[in-house]
Amino acid sequence: MSAPAPGAPVIEARQLTRRFGSFTAVDAVSFEVERGEIFGYLGANGAGKSTTIRMLNGLLAPTSGTARVAGHDVAADPDSVKASIGYMSQKFSLYLDLPVMENLLFFGGAYGLFGKALRVRAGELLELTGLAGQDAAITGSLPGGMRQRLALAGAILHRPEVVFLDEPTAGVDPVARRAFWRLIRQLSSGGTTVFVTTHYLDEAEYCRRIGLMVDGRLVALDSPAGLKRTWVPDRVLVARGQGLAGAAAALAGRDGVRSVQPFGAGLHLRVDPARLDEAGVGRILSAAGAREVVVDRAEPSLEDVFLAVVGREARGEAVT
Amino acid sequence: MTAPVRPSARVQLAAVFRKEVQQTVRDRRIMFMLVVAPLIQTVVFGFAVDFEVDRVPTVVVDPDRSATSREDARRLLADGTLLSTGEEISAEAASAGIDAGRASAALVFERRAEADRLSGRGQEVQVLLDGTDPNRTTVTSGAVSRFFSELGERLARERLEASGQTPPAQLRPIPRVAFNPGLATAPYMVPGIAAMLLVIVTTFTSAMGLAREREMGTLEQVLVTPIRPVLLLVGKMAPFVVIGLLVVALLIGVGTWLFAIPIRGSLGLLFLGTVLYLLTTLGAGLLISTVSANQQQAFLGGFLFTIPAVLLSGLMTPILAMPGWLRPLTLLNPIRWYAEIMRGVLLRGAGLADLWLQLAVLLVIGVAIMAAATLRFRRRLG
Repeated sequence: MSAPAPGAPVIEARQLTRRFGSFTAVDAVSFEVERGEIFGYLGANGAGKSTTIRMLNGLLAPTSGTARVAGHDVAADPDSVKASIGYMSQKFSLYLDLPVMENLLFFGGAYGLFGKALRVRAGELLELTGLAGQDAAITGSLPGGMRQRLALAGAILHRPEVVFLDEPTAGVDPVARRAFWRLIRQLSSGGTTVFVTTHYLDEAEYCRRIGLMVDGRLVALDSPAGLKRTWVPDRVLVARGQGLAGAAAALAGRDGVRSVQPFGAGLHLRVDPARLDEAGVGRILSAAGAREVVVDRAEPSLEDVFLAVVGREARGEAVT
Repeated sequence: MTAPVRPSARVQLAAVFRKEVQQTVRDRRIMFMLVVAPLIQTVVFGFAVDFEVDRVPTVVVDPDRSATSREDARRLLADGTLLSTGEEISAEAASAGIDAGRASAALVFERRAEADRLSGRGQEVQVLLDGTDPNRTTVTSGAVSRFFSELGERLARERLEASGQTPPAQLRPIPRVAFNPGLATAPYMVPGIAAMLLVIVTTFTSAMGLAREREMGTLEQVLVTPIRPVLLLVGKMAPFVVIGLLVVALLIGVGTWLFAIPIRGSLGLLFLGTVLYLLTTLGAGLLISTVSANQQQAFLGGFLFTIPAVLLSGLMTPILAMPGWLRPLTLLNPIRWYAEIMRGVLLRGAGLADLWLQLAVLLVIGVAIMAAATLRFRRRLG
């Protein structure tokens, strides 16, 4: 049980595999997560995200492969792993029939905290998560956003090195989601490693690195910008101006144009940068009768990445 | 303040205990089911369960209409076991009355009853019985046979004396009944009923409690903490042991007050027995929940355990009356041993010297069940 050396990864998965009967839920997944990193784990439902988390937090034994979390082997020493991590499951899983404070006291006790120190820590976390004054409220009566923040408070009572958040913002309104992500970033800047799954792609932009799971395999792993560079080589352009609707037809079928879509009052298009650039697009549109044409480059979204990855996987092409 | 890698068992146990108490006490319906319902049921069952057979509805068929036949019927009915519901003209009519449920017994005299008796030829009386309830039938038939055999003996004696002969010496057993001289049913049954209610209530609460946590997802959240499974299970059981003791104390109070049940032995010993008993029943509940995926399965599992356990405990039917192959099974039944402890302590004033075996068996069963539940629970996590 040696403490990991500074700079060593906090999570290390090597060929991690889990089979349920003949079904392989997680297939030889390898990655490392650094201390203080927000690591996003993306994938469709059933892609193996939760199974990976459950292996990393000691709930499920790997069929093969190894993983070390906070310096402990998950198969050999799950108890030490459990003491060093926090976990928020997909489904809200604190006691709905207990008051807020009783939930925190119970989970604190399970982690070995007690007495005044526990109460002080619980009070701090209620403050941090914007639940101050809700101590006596019955947990089941809290709205969704508050519940999620309470669950997070319950998961970090014992100051874990790593927190695993499995779809923490599912079913929560956008304002509450934003507040939640503010907390996640706060945790990360305090040195806590955050491993988060989500299928809100806008949220994934907050992650330092993202792993993409398709059918149990980790098919891409990079920063959001890196993923976009690799997976969306096309240039995304936005054209604005007058009379675009009539001019758009002129673009279709031109060399280098991959797609054209109306987007609000403008046009969204993807072009091959080797054959066509912003100026070229502007000339074509002006020649077709559009006026005051402005063409800007736009950032591809993670949604474009996700579709590109899933599309390539579906076609069975090799991933480089 | 960083969490210790090996959290203290005492802290974890206290946390589970506190949480379980909070949840139980907050749930009024559960508290009602745990405490008030067994109390009400003990009172109701205590009055309802009565093995004494009396007032069996009986019709008399007396075509002879003689002084002797009337006198026989009157005296037989006077003892209270049988209660006359009227007369019928024939055995067929009486039999039809039994078929229709208007009577459970019929006493049929012959047309020449008095003449046959006086002539010394011997008299026959037919007794028709509804055998639906074997216990009742046996008692009714016993009452009729006893009456007529005593009558026959008296007639023989009178006849011998009239002819100047000395009748033979009489043989008459004189029973002296210890512990329950009035042969009242309640002092015997109420401790048994208490044992039965306790097994039902506690097995179901613990089986459903853990299954509910699994269903709600809270169990998964608990299992990612470094809590040891055995502490989790023991901590979940402990509040119900306290509640169980409270229920037993209440039941004994009510039993003493309403049914005149004596407390001849040590209540401390009875409470020790109760704790060991609850270890087995709560443990059985936990074991059931480890093989159940949800609350419905746990509920059915609770039935599969409690009903046979109650029926094969000797509470309802004597163990000695069971077939030989079934009897050894009752040795594994905690209800059997606890009922012996309860009846022993309350009715006979039995002490530790008399009941050590019962206590030891409960301890062994309890520890075995808990160990099995913990092992099953651990394996499920793998």
